[in-house]
Amino acid sequence: MLRVQDLVTAYGKIEALKGVSLEVAQGSITCLLGPNGAGKTTLMMTLAGILKPRSGSIRFSEDEITGLPPHAIVARGIALVPENRLVFPSMTVLENLQAGAYQRRSGFDDDIERMFTRFPRLKEREAQLAGTLSGGEQQMLAVARALMSRPKLLLMDEPSLGLAPLVVEEIFSIIAELHRDGATIFLVEQNAHMALRVAQRFYLMEQGRVTFSGDPGSLAEDEVIRRAYLGSSR
Amino acid sequence: MDEYAIGVLTSVGLLSFVATSAYLLLIAGELSFGQQAFFGVGAYAAGIATAMLGLPLFLGLLIAMVCGAAVAALVGLPALRLRGLYFAMATLAAAEMLRILFELFHWQVEVGGEVVGPDGTQGFRGIRWVFERGVEPLGFLALVWGMLAVVLVVIHLLERTRLGSAVRALGEDPELAGTLGIDVLRLKLAVVAAAGALAALGGALFAHHNTYIEPRNFDIMLGVHTLAYALIGGLGTVVGPLLGVALDLGLLEGTRVFQGYRMIVFGGLVALLLIWRPRGLLDERVVHWLRTRR
Amino acid sequence: MAPVVDFLQNSLDGLSAGAAYALLAVGFTLIFGVLRRANLSYGPAIMLGAYAATWLFLQTGAGLLVLFAVAVLATVLAGTYVERLCFAPHRKGAAAAAMVASFAIWMQLEELATLLLPRHLYAFPALYEGGPLTFGPFFVRVESLLILLAAVAVCVAGWKVLYATRFGIAVRAVIDDPRAAELSGIDVGAVSLRIFAVASAIGGATGFLIVASHEQVTPMLGMWSTLKGMLAMMLGGLGSLPGAIAGGLALGLIEAHSQWYFGPQFRDFIAYLLLFVLLAARPPWMNTRSAY
Repeated sequence: MLRVQDLVTAYGKIEALKGVSLEVAQGSITCLLGPNGAGKTTLMMTLAGILKPRSGSIRFSEDEITGLPPHAIVARGIALVPENRLVFPSMTVLENLQAGAYQRRSGFDDDIERMFTRFPRLKEREAQLAGTLSGGEQQMLAVARALMSRPKLLLMDEPSLGLAPLVVEEIFSIIAELHRDGATIFLVEQNAHMALRVAQRFYLMEQGRVTFSGDPGSLAEDEVIRRAYLGSSR
Repeated sequence: MDEYAIGVLTSVGLLSFVATSAYLLLIAGELSFGQQAFFGVGAYAAGIATAMLGLPLFLGLLIAMVCGAAVAALVGLPALRLRGLYFAMATLAAAEMLRILFELFHWQVEVGGEVVGPDGTQGFRGIRWVFERGVEPLGFLALVWGMLAVVLVVIHLLERTRLGSAVRALGEDPELAGTLGIDVLRLKLAVVAAAGALAALGGALFAHHNTYIEPRNFDIMLGVHTLAYALIGGLGTVVGPLLGVALDLGLLEGTRVFQGYRMIVFGGLVALLLIWRPRGLLDERVVHWLRTRR
Repeated sequence: MAPVVDFLQNSLDGLSAGAAYALLAVGFTLIFGVLRRANLSYGPAIMLGAYAATWLFLQTGAGLLVLFAVAVLATVLAGTYVERLCFAPHRKGAAAAAMVASFAIWMQLEELATLLLPRHLYAFPALYEGGPLTFGPFFVRVESLLILLAAVAVCVAGWKVLYATRFGIAVRAVIDDPRAAELSGIDVGAVSLRIFAVASAIGGATGFLIVASHEQVTPMLGMWSTLKGMLAMMLGGLGSLPGAIAGGLALGLIEAHSQWYFGPQFRDFIAYLLLFVLLAARPPWMNTRSAY
């Protein structure tokens, strides 16, 4: 569904992505692991259109989407749940969802109801300002907001960041649930252990390049986790 | 060299002092709409020193610089923690307050049978120290450019020291600079004071060139103009602001080609230039490229 | 009794002037809130609008309604030009370039206006032909009431748009967090352009009301509008529409009372001093922008 080839993204002279290639199969959960500074968030930002790559290509369902602006990417059916959530703090939970549905001109009331069914805690806080929600609730809101645009591919950047273990479990059960309902998810995670439990395929990224790919059974889990946190040993 | 050209070159030199003072603040990361006020402080201080207190010019220039630094520090201290537009508006407010104070400032003494001194909105006449000693326009031009050259060389040398890097680090990312052990607030205050002294020096020379100054000389238009000159000339080198001034005063006004619609041309060029080069003509990349070619 | 009457009358005068300042502040605030930049060409664009209307009046003696439409249209055109040239290219860059570019275009627009109408003063048809309203010892100009009404109308309309329309959600989203707005599928560039147009329309209307209320047009309008608008915006807390209105009214009141008690020279001085003191006292909560 998503095919990335030799993607290079740079900040001035510094190349954060040095030629990344990977694929996300339709209907799967694919996860991207790697140590801090590997370039995982840069990749997500490039896929979402916030950063423009210097070279390389991004193909989504056979369409070339490289270099499109963020709102065009959303229109194509890709939504990003960003690192640090980025909810709209001075807007209510309901308004956050309405913002997520901006590109859709009709039918989103049903979707809002569906979000509230899937995330009952959000329904309770419907009229509350998003800035006052707890970390876990904000994460759920960020996911729900991304889902409001009815994406074909959901990108998630570190959904477990800064959340308590119980909340992390909850988030991942939602991820599994979304997958069961047919969603395609590309997930960046520091918490390799949790990520490998739900993913069908994973990539390991180090210093701007993909250094390993496989499915959760192909490499011993602790080896994977070690490399994800510490990078390849010398 | 004909008198008109000398006049234009002198103006370019004088305005370069204020433009460079705006440049110092820009590389420290702040926009100042208020450097014209210190230009004025210097003008009035030097005028008082030579025309009313009978002091020699160089002492007047020194007093002007001290006053400029002092007033800038006084104004800068409460505004030190402000950033971005807030800091810019604070400088604007302070500059306008100073200008209004100039309008209210009356102090006249009798010197050699004549009444001399600042007279509020009527201005301050009779700052004739330079002309009473028979200095020719060309000679004054040399004085202005000589002092400017010294200033620019000093700043250029300082930019290559740790102090210079610290100031630029402050401009790039104050939080990061703080974590590197730079005393952000003290450094910013030092830059504010230095910029004030520099503008004041320009003002002192300006007062002696014109022999007459009034509060209207030091209004917002001057301030915003010099800020523009500093930015379009380029933030990569201390010569940038000079280039900016020269482009407007020298090229456009001096050649009188666009008489009557100079600002239409200049304004449009500036906006276009900034699209192409947001940090000016001689920005850091160009300067780096020029340096590494040797 | 007389000092109380004076105080109240001055307050009335202050609010009357303040209504115009409030409208100017609203325009600046809209642009600052959405683009996070100050538009130094806002005043000059308003001046160009007023000048366009004046020029038309001199050529054809057109009626107030037509002049109003021309002022608004010309200001919107000028504002769009400024947005495309000075703000759109620097959206992802530093604010300095955008603000300096907008200053450069300020110079350009002002020179254009003075080339169009070179004299220092032009007459403009009156907004209202009658005299002021009096009640007891107080009087209020009808023109001022009209401007106040316009400010209220802009507030109400603005509130409706921001809270009851799809565009309003997009605007508030961009103000709250531009990156999150981008990720939600909102075209931030398009929102910026539209807000610029709205702010320019409000500015054009304000310019018309001001020159029609004073029955004259001068080249100082550009600088004056910029200064008063920015001052009012900052006094009101930079970034909220109610704050802009409050800041404008406050500025009017401060000026009126300062002038009465301390004389005309101190009128501006005290306003600037107040702003400076407010700014200096703010730092702890400086980086949080108030919500709408």
